[in-house]
Amino acid sequence: MTELASLADGMFVALLEAAPDAMVCIAADGRIVLVNAQAERLFGYQRAELIGQPVEILVPDAARAVHPGHRAAYAADPRHRPMGAGLPLAGRRRDASTFPAEISLSAIDTGEGILVTAAIRDVTAQLRVRGLERSSQSLESFIYSVSHDLRAPLRALSGYSGILLEEYGGVLGEEGRGYAERIVAVSAQMGQLIDYLLQLSRVSRAELRLQPVDLGAEAARIAEDLQRQEPRRRVCFTIEKPVQALADRQLIHTVLQNLLDNAWKFTSGRDDAAIEFGTAPSEDAAVCCYVRDNGAGFDSAYAGKLFQPFQRLHAARDFPGTGTGLASVRQIVERHGGRVWAEGAVGAGATFYFTLDGKESA
Amino acid sequence: MTDRTILLVEDNPDDEALTLRAFKKSDIRNEVVVLRDGAEALAYLFPGNGDTVPRPALILLDLNLPKVGGLEVLRRMRADERTQMIPVVVLTSSKLDEDILDSYRNGANAYVRKPVNFSDFAEAVRTLGVFWLLLNEPVPDRQPELD
Repeated sequence: MTELASLADGMFVALLEAAPDAMVCIAADGRIVLVNAQAERLFGYQRAELIGQPVEILVPDAARAVHPGHRAAYAADPRHRPMGAGLPLAGRRRDASTFPAEISLSAIDTGEGILVTAAIRDVTAQLRVRGLERSSQSLESFIYSVSHDLRAPLRALSGYSGILLEEYGGVLGEEGRGYAERIVAVSAQMGQLIDYLLQLSRVSRAELRLQPVDLGAEAARIAEDLQRQEPRRRVCFTIEKPVQALADRQLIHTVLQNLLDNAWKFTSGRDDAAIEFGTAPSEDAAVCCYVRDNGAGFDSAYAGKLFQPFQRLHAARDFPGTGTGLASVRQIVERHGGRVWAEGAVGAGATFYFTLDGKESA
Repeated sequence: MTDRTILLVEDNPDDEALTLRAFKKSDIRNEVVVLRDGAEALAYLFPGNGDTVPRPALILLDLNLPKVGGLEVLRRMRADERTQMIPVVVLTSSKLDEDILDSYRNGANAYVRKPVNFSDFAEAVRTLGVFWLLLNEPVPDRQPELD
């Protein structure tokens, strides 16, 4: 062997070892002539156990009989075959277990016959991810059709009850009208529940689009809207500005909207209603915000239930709602890597805290 | 030439009844042609036997339809010069961003999510009728003859 040739040979072996995939070189007679360390690890063999063996030792039992035929076909037409092209393939470990594999083949003419190099990659993890993506997509489309199909009959319930009220109100009498009105009201409420389910599924899957947001400015806008919708209420808003944070603007808007809506709702019985948005010092987060009100408050024994969906601590006739607002708040905040908690007492108002650290959590 | 017809492409009989009633209640007296799936809609819009292609004043189009979906109806309409400019309002239960985007990408003039609440729904239909049939200037009849 010339010096140059042996140098090239050495480089070939070094390249083989450096390759990220398991590499197996096979001579024309189907025997293994060279493997790299990754191949040893992947198949569970020592190098010496593989060299000189027919490559079929690495082929699952079910495919072993037909493999020499495939090999001959490839040798007759040795084109480079990239990974993932063709059928799902598998490899066989020393302990007879198998794994899904992507295999690419290339042929080198050494002058003393063709040397086929196979690069083998274990794709178990990729397949698992693909499976998860598929099931999450089918869940998404399931929730989509559910929400679509559930809304239609609700619209009919609300619609026909509304028609009864408008056109047959006289026949129904006061009591009958009351029942029809209830049908309209609960249809609307169930519509909100369906929307909440839809939102829940979307928040959990949506990609966070983090950007700098002034939470104070957002809160001020929401406060203005609330005041505009009910101009007769007198509420004293105190809003800290600016409060810079890294957040998904749309989602964090939902958080502030829900918290301020609640504060607005639960202070409706007070002439001296006061709602405050501000920040508190935090040791573990980039920013800690709170929304405080002097409204109806809550029994702190039930504080843990506040953030669970469909839980309500007040009678619907006092403060209407579906019990989904705070559950959304928690979901969005946790999606941002933050946490939520509440302090309060009956008749003494409530304070809702949330932190954001600006880093996406899993 | 633009006729005064409203096309309602809707497979749900309840939504159909509520929509028709809402039009009636808001004194919108235009003829409403109801088509119950996408294939019916395409057959109506493209008679294909030498008949003149109808040109309704407004189409209310549901997305989730049997046979041929609403988006496909929209695509086919926008690909044809004769139906390219007919106002199409997508009226659907979905509020998925994808559906909204796909509708606009395929040339919808508006996208309205059907409210669950009876009076909101009636108000939405009334507003659509008033805007598209009274307030909005339709495509002029005297354009270079296309069909």
